[in-house]
Amino acid sequence: MRVFEKNPLEKGLAERLREHGVSRRGFLKFCAATASMMALPPAMIPAIAAALERARRPSVIWLSFQECTGCTESLTRSHAPTVEDLILDLISLDYHHTLQAAAGEAAEAAREQAMRDNHGQYLLIVDGSLPGPDANPGYSTIAGVSNYSMLMEAVEGAAAVIAVGTCAAFGGLPAAAPNPTGAVSVMDLVKDKPVVNVSGCPPVPMVITGVLAHFLTFGRLPELDEYHRPLAFFGQSIHDRCYRRPFYDKGLFAETFDDAGARAGWCLYRLGCKGPSTYNACATMRWNAGTSWPIEAGHPCLGCAEPRFWDAGGFYVPLSVPTGPASDYLLAAGAVGAVAGAVVATKARGRAKEEAAVRQPVTVEELEQKL
Amino acid sequence: MSATPSSNGSPESSPFTLERGLAAFRAEIDGPVAAFFSSCVHCGVCAQSCPFYLETGDPKYTPILKLEPLRLIWAAEFTLLGRLKGLLGLNKQVTDEMLTQWEELIYDSCSMCGRCSLVCPVGNDIQAMVRKSREGMVASGHVPEGLIGASVRAVQTGSPMGLQWKTLQVQINHIETSTGLTVPVDQAGADYLVMLSSMEVINFPEYLEAITRIFDHAGVSWTLSTQCFEATNAGIQIGNKDVAALLVQRVVDAAVALGVKNVISPECGHAYTAIRWEGPNLIGRPYPFHVFHIIEVLDQLRAAGRIKTEGMETDRLSLHDPCNLARKSGVIQQQRNLMDLIAADFVELKEHGKFQWCCGAGGGVSSNERAEPLKIAAFKMKKAQIEEVEPARMVTMCATCRTQLEEGLEHFNMDIPVVGLTELIAEHLVEHEPAEQAEGAT
Repeated sequence: MRVFEKNPLEKGLAERLREHGVSRRGFLKFCAATASMMALPPAMIPAIAAALERARRPSVIWLSFQECTGCTESLTRSHAPTVEDLILDLISLDYHHTLQAAAGEAAEAAREQAMRDNHGQYLLIVDGSLPGPDANPGYSTIAGVSNYSMLMEAVEGAAAVIAVGTCAAFGGLPAAAPNPTGAVSVMDLVKDKPVVNVSGCPPVPMVITGVLAHFLTFGRLPELDEYHRPLAFFGQSIHDRCYRRPFYDKGLFAETFDDAGARAGWCLYRLGCKGPSTYNACATMRWNAGTSWPIEAGHPCLGCAEPRFWDAGGFYVPLSVPTGPASDYLLAAGAVGAVAGAVVATKARGRAKEEAAVRQPVTVEELEQKL
Repeated sequence: MSATPSSNGSPESSPFTLERGLAAFRAEIDGPVAAFFSSCVHCGVCAQSCPFYLETGDPKYTPILKLEPLRLIWAAEFTLLGRLKGLLGLNKQVTDEMLTQWEELIYDSCSMCGRCSLVCPVGNDIQAMVRKSREGMVASGHVPEGLIGASVRAVQTGSPMGLQWKTLQVQINHIETSTGLTVPVDQAGADYLVMLSSMEVINFPEYLEAITRIFDHAGVSWTLSTQCFEATNAGIQIGNKDVAALLVQRVVDAAVALGVKNVISPECGHAYTAIRWEGPNLIGRPYPFHVFHIIEVLDQLRAAGRIKTEGMETDRLSLHDPCNLARKSGVIQQQRNLMDLIAADFVELKEHGKFQWCCGAGGGVSSNERAEPLKIAAFKMKKAQIEEVEPARMVTMCATCRTQLEEGLEHFNMDIPVVGLTELIAEHLVEHEPAEQAEGAT
């Protein structure tokens, strides 16, 4: 990975890809995959290709706070050398303290210089949560600077902030009860710049690169959901796209990790699968270059892309078991809904019948008049 | 009714009006249609599956757009939001002008091949909705003339091409002379009633001869019916259930009159889906007989060891699966089993079976002269597929596909003959009494 490259804005992406041995066909395939993942019409593929080809390498500063480096691992272990790696190679990653060769003052100087040179234009990527302004800053510092000050200073000149991983997006493990370090998420602190949350513990690598590709193509960030996650990847629940869904629909469940149902690949709902309440792209994009993903490996979804997933009840407790006191009004609401649904369905059926009665049969004599 | 200003070029008042058409559209909006429209995610994958879009590159041929009139009516009248918008007068109206424009999209540029329905990621049956839209198009008077002609002839003469039994009788006489066999006609209680398509009788008389020889060889009890020989259904293609039901009823009446156990649909795609799948729904009751495509029957006979063949075709043969047969009806393996009997060098087109590409002529496109340029454009997809594997001949089992393949290959100056699978099988039958036959045979 190329860190510290001077004058990063000279060559177009297509040219650099060719230098890296990526064929035009491979590049277009990537564009098609990006278009389909972001639910863009196929007609957009050439537009994406053209935009990416023209795109200059934007400066990216990557700050790591209270994190485990899993997010960086996810990204870099996305099976070398895929097009995704190269896309990343082709942004100018000016500061990433895990990946860069420089250390100490030289590293910090690189960050400061990149911030100066690209003021107002660089992308800021953050992984890890950080102690909030009211917490003891000593819980996490880099080069003697508190995470909070470093973030706020870097945000000031950033075009946008991408919070990578559940810790940066929602606080994650550091913020789990009892939250000893007073950890908060990036969006708790950044209010005046666009924030994209690429949640997951860790996030799917293609989602990170997908957001970058979208930014390079359109010059703006993708459409987001209520948690600031890109809708294209977080628009559907794991459950809705799960290949084990037919078993759920048929009521076939694994009851333990080693019963006949588990071996037959039945639904893991009763083993605590959080798929129904978790929105992420695992079920469609899978992991390790599309090899597999947790549910395919026989383990229920933990719901790692959702806010407060550490504190949302036991991992192996089914979702249907309430975490708080059971609420009767929900049952009542369900009953009202069922009655309303039945009324609407009956009315609609009545209307279809009415229309069928109004419809006039066509005779061949009438058709003949048209000739 | 007071005289209305002529709108569609017909000076007299037409029995078909916009009102009548809208009522027909509405009557087609059922649960599945509502579910399909509400689940469309606008991904555009249907465009990538449509030979008419791919070969013209014109986005108006995107399959889901062909359903716009039906969708507008659904959105305006069958959804809460649409009805609220309706109160404020905000809904886009379906007008005669719009339907005139859509006539080309719903008829000329759609063979109802169903590839869009197959690839739709949310499972929308787009081709079924095109079929439904045609109901509204007929009732509002926006139909290509060629299809009206075919429907009128089918109802009035019993054949969309105006073919009469006496023409068929001449052909039967020829076959009986050349084969020395009898073609059974109106045999009550036969096991199989054989139906034909006019196009076959006129263009491919080899088919009936092949059937005669194969069934004699296998000892099958069969018959033709003078009451009804036409299996094709112009009502399905024009998209009108009244005409379609009337034509299906004729087949049912003929089969019931002769008391047959099975009805065989000929080498024709839509005839099979019309009788096999749509028929009982059209007439509103189950049949007292089974329906098979000829290829299914031949494969059953093969499996039972009743067809004995000798010799193999040695040139390179490839197979075109008709959409109605393969994609819509799942008849895919049968034709391959039969090819294995007689083809030494068989090569599959790259995409075949349920993912095959349409020849471009089905769904009434071939009866619609105006659609000729589009029909040839859509054929380019098939042409590219054929060029990829370079067969010496193409084999198929639908008269419309076969005509289109022949015309299309001719158009592009490609010297690849097209043959029907049934004839090919008939050519390889082991003769019953080889010694005696050898003497008399030329």
